[in-house]
Formats: sequence, structure tokens, C-alpha cells
Amino acid sequence: MSYVKVSQLCKRFGDTTVFENIDFSIEKGEFITLLGPSGCGKSTLLRSLAGLNKVDAGEIWVDQENITDIGPQLREIGMVFQSYALFPNMTVIDNVAFGLKMKGINKTEARAEAKRMIDLVELDGKELFYPRALSGGQRQRVALARALVVKPRILLLDEPLSALDAKIRKSLRQQILNIQRELNLTTVFVTHDQEEAMLLSDRIFLMNEGAIVQQGKPEEIYTKPANEFVASFMGHYNLIGAITASKWFNFNSQQKVAIRPESIYIREEGRHYGEHISVAKPGIVESHQLLGNVIRYSIKVEQQLLTVDLLNRSSERLMAKGTPLELMFNLNEIQPVRA
Amino acid sequence: MDNNNLFIHKSVVYGLSGILFMPILATFIYSFSSSWGATILPDGFTIKWYTQLLTDPRFLEAFMRSLFICISSLLLAMILVLPMIFVIFYYYPTLDKVMNILILLPFAVPPVVSSVGLLELYADSSVQLIGTPWILIGTYFTIALPFMYRAISNSFSTINIRDLVDAAHLLGASTTKAYLLIILPNLKKGLLASTFLSFSFLLGEFVFANILVGTRYETLQIYLYNMRQTSGHFTSALVMTYFVFIFVCTWLATHFSKGNK
Repeated sequence: MSYVKVSQLCKRFGDTTVFENIDFSIEKGEFITLLGPSGCGKSTLLRSLAGLNKVDAGEIWVDQENITDIGPQLREIGMVFQSYALFPNMTVIDNVAFGLKMKGINKTEARAEAKRMIDLVELDGKELFYPRALSGGQRQRVALARALVVKPRILLLDEPLSALDAKIRKSLRQQILNIQRELNLTTVFVTHDQEEAMLLSDRIFLMNEGAIVQQGKPEEIYTKPANEFVASFMGHYNLIGAITASKWFNFNSQQKVAIRPESIYIREEGRHYGEHISVAKPGIVESHQLLGNVIRYSIKVEQQLLTVDLLNRSSERLMAKGTPLELMFNLNEIQPVRA
Repeated sequence: MDNNNLFIHKSVVYGLSGILFMPILATFIYSFSSSWGATILPDGFTIKWYTQLLTDPRFLEAFMRSLFICISSLLLAMILVLPMIFVIFYYYPTLDKVMNILILLPFAVPPVVSSVGLLELYADSSVQLIGTPWILIGTYFTIALPFMYRAISNSFSTINIRDLVDAAHLLGASTTKAYLLIILPNLKKGLLASTFLSFSFLLGEFVFANILVGTRYETLQIYLYNMRQTSGHFTSALVMTYFVFIFVCTWLATHFSKGNK
């Protein structure tokens, strides 16, 4: 049996259903990301795992124990909040030792253990600082140490990186990943950032409107979106209607198809394309955006605007508006999707 | 240009403070003068008014009574308000709006009107309240409430109470422990500041004390009022003593709020 098992979980606030019939299981040591747009119910689901929200139906099992009706104090689940939620009246070491103190562990032992955790998150020397004297990234590391020190069975991370700037975000997410691997922690991470999710997770549970619409490994979700929502959320997929797709690619499709912008080629002289698995279509450059390492072209094929990503190899190759070209579609990369 | 501006700013500030300080200074000098009649400067200095005041048992009793009433009403306010605000902010945040209207009521009704209303209300009560300190404690509680609610709810809004309590819960603390160990220490600043503010305000309260209780329970302000016929030097000494006391309280209040920053 899986380490964490959630079945038929439902949560309502009054008349509105936050999530419904949620089923999933998590293995020990797995890094799971609940990914979805804001308001999809992912944070509420996380809070329900923590016991901070009561659920209306369904069961949560951890390590063969039904914890559905147990209070948050006894669940042995650690959580890191977006707002850090550090206790402002306590120093770093007192913050970290708080959970141990609540367990009745004596002060010296608690402090020694807290000190070890502070070292683990690389904050040695900051033990006697108050949270307000620390930067955002440092505060979140204190929060992480505080959650880890009690050796939780599951670590929950509720958008812990959202309040931080880009550079700190990158280094902290790497640190979180390293610690997670080192301690073999079962972790559930909530985010609305698909890049973060792809980078960190063993598996992603993609949520929309209170349901898990697809779960799987990052590459699976990215390359094989189950429906239109996943396709639009995970990347800049081109969605082409069933009739147009059938005509262009010469097959009979009842569904829309999704094509990743980086899987469309622009034909260049002297290059060979697997002609038997490719379809060529003429198009005209409408506009382009420079994203740094990638140039994102907007190309008109018949009446349809398509997004095509090209690596920014040299600035001389930039194609101006109105340039005619030929697009090569790899048939293996054309993905039928449900609405 | 800047210097010129600064000069105007300074002269306005110092000028105003000077005007405000003048009566206090005059009272101060007057309380130390042996007599000060038709001359520009007093005839001589003495501390006899202070010795007379501070050895008057009636004054000391009135002072103790005032302290008793103020401290009791503030204690009552604290005991009721602190958990109440916690409940409002943690469980029913929407009630904050209702409270904000409620706490305006003691200001909206003039003391003279509400004290007459209280007289009417409690005149026929089976428990004798009029003329006792208990009705004053109750009334002062309602006066202190707005100050305390405002200050403490401000402290509350600077901390993310929901996340803090949630974090404490997940670390094994009960709601009571979370309240005592985490929420309460973060309110200390607002609580102390508002307590001292209400304290100095209540110590100077006269209208309610006079109408509801009067001479049957002589508080400091009633005593001052009753002494108005005696020597002006004596009442000046009384006012100065009272002023110094308030000043020390205010200083303590600012000191504590700074110390917690």
C-alpha cells in the first residue's frame, strides 16, 4: 500500500465546492507538486492534508493510519507557508525549537537539535536574530528548518517561493530539493508556476476547478497533455481545431490537436527532414518576440496563427514580418486533446 | 531656501509648544509661591502647599480610589477585550466591521447624556449601583474599550494571525498555547500603549464620576472640584502632582512601546 493515500476527498464552503472526488496516492520519499491556476483548490487540498481544514467527505491515510479526523497537532505533518508564518516574538533558534518544546523535549536537547537544522539550511550564525532582521529567503529557510526539526511524515510546501525574487527563488528551490533527497522526505509542493513544478517534481498533479485533471511525470504531462486546459497551462501549445487538423495533416480527427511551439520546424535549405513523418505547410511571419535564448515567432498558416519557438542561435537569422517560409510538422508530435 | 523653510517650521513648532506650555509653567510657579497677588513676580517660594496636600489623608484616599477604579476597569477591559479580539480576528473576521461601529458609540454619545441615561436606567435597579464605584468601573470600561480595541486590532493586523496559529497547530500547540505563546507577546506593544493612554484619560475623567457617584465616592477629580474654594496655590499643587503622575505614566508608555520595537 502507498505511503499516502487519499480517496474521494471532498470539500465545500457553503454552496461552493472547492474540490471533489480527489483520489491519489504517494510513495514514500516522492516529491509531488500540486499545480494549477489560482482558485483551483490546490491550497485548500494541501490545508486539508495538514488538517487545517476539515473535509466534507473522503479519507486520508498516511502510513496505514487513517488521519482524516485527527487534529493538525497529532498528524506529524510539517508545513511551510507562503507568508513564512515565523513567530515574530521569537529568535530564529526559538522558532525552530518551538515544535520540539511542544513535544515536551527538554530545552538543551531541543536547542541542540534546532541548531543542527539551522546548520542544514545554512543559517548558522543567525540563531539569535529575530525574523524581521532576515531577508525573505532566509526567513523561508527558517520556516523550512522549523517544519523539518520535528521529523514530519510529510512535508507540505504552500507556494513557499512565491514571495521571493527570481534569483533567491532558484537557489532556494535547489536547496529544498537537495534537503528533500537527503532526508528522503515525502513532500507535497503547491505552486502555480509550471516551470517550478517541472523542475522539482517526481510527479505532478495538475488541478483545475477542484479536480485533478492529469497526474504523471513532468515530461509525460508536458508532452502528452490530456486535455485543452493542460495543453494551455503547461506551455504555449498551439491548438488547432478538428476540421483544420484533419485537412492539414491528412487524418481523420474528431478532436482538437495540440502542437508544442518547439516541435514545429522552419524548413532550411540543405537540411533533411524525415519527410515520411512530416507535413509541410507554407506560412508567413506575422511577428516575433525575443525571449532571450528563444525567439518566439507568430506565423500565419492559412487563417491560423501558430506559435513557433526557435533557438536564438544568431541575430542575423531573425526573420522580419512578412517573410514567407515553410513549416515542418512532425506527425509524432501532434497530440489530440479532449476539450 | 531650505534653511529659511526650516526656520519657519521650527518657530511654528516652538511657538506652539511655548503657548501650550505657558499655563503649565504658570501653574507650576503658582504652586510653589507663598503668595502671588498684585505683583508681576511672586512674593516668595515655599513647598508648604505640597506638604499640605501630600499629608492630607482625604487627598491620598481620593487618589487611591481613582487608581483603584482606573486599574480595575482597565483590567476588566483587558480580560474581556484580548480574547474577544482573538476570536474576532481568528474565527469571525467579518465581525471587525461591526466592532468598528460599536466602539464609536462611547464617543458618539456625550458623557453628560449617557450619564443621565445610566442614572435613569439604574435608578430603580434592585442592586444599588448608583453612587458606588462599581458603576464607574463599568462605565470606564466602555470608555477604555475603543482605545484598546483600536490599538490591539492594529497590532493584530500587522501579524498574519491565521498562518501563525496554523503553524503553531502543526507544530503541536493547542489553540490556547498558540494564543499565549505567540499571539499575546506580539500584542504587548499595542496593549501597553493603549492601556497607559486610557489610564491617563480615565484618571482625568470628571463628568461620569461627578454625576454617577459624586461625593459618595470621592475620586481625584471630584476632590479637585470640591477643593476649588480653598487656596489657588493648594489646587495648583494638586494639579501639578496629578500632572507629574500622568507625565510619568505617558513616559512609561512610550518607553515600553519603544523597548518592544
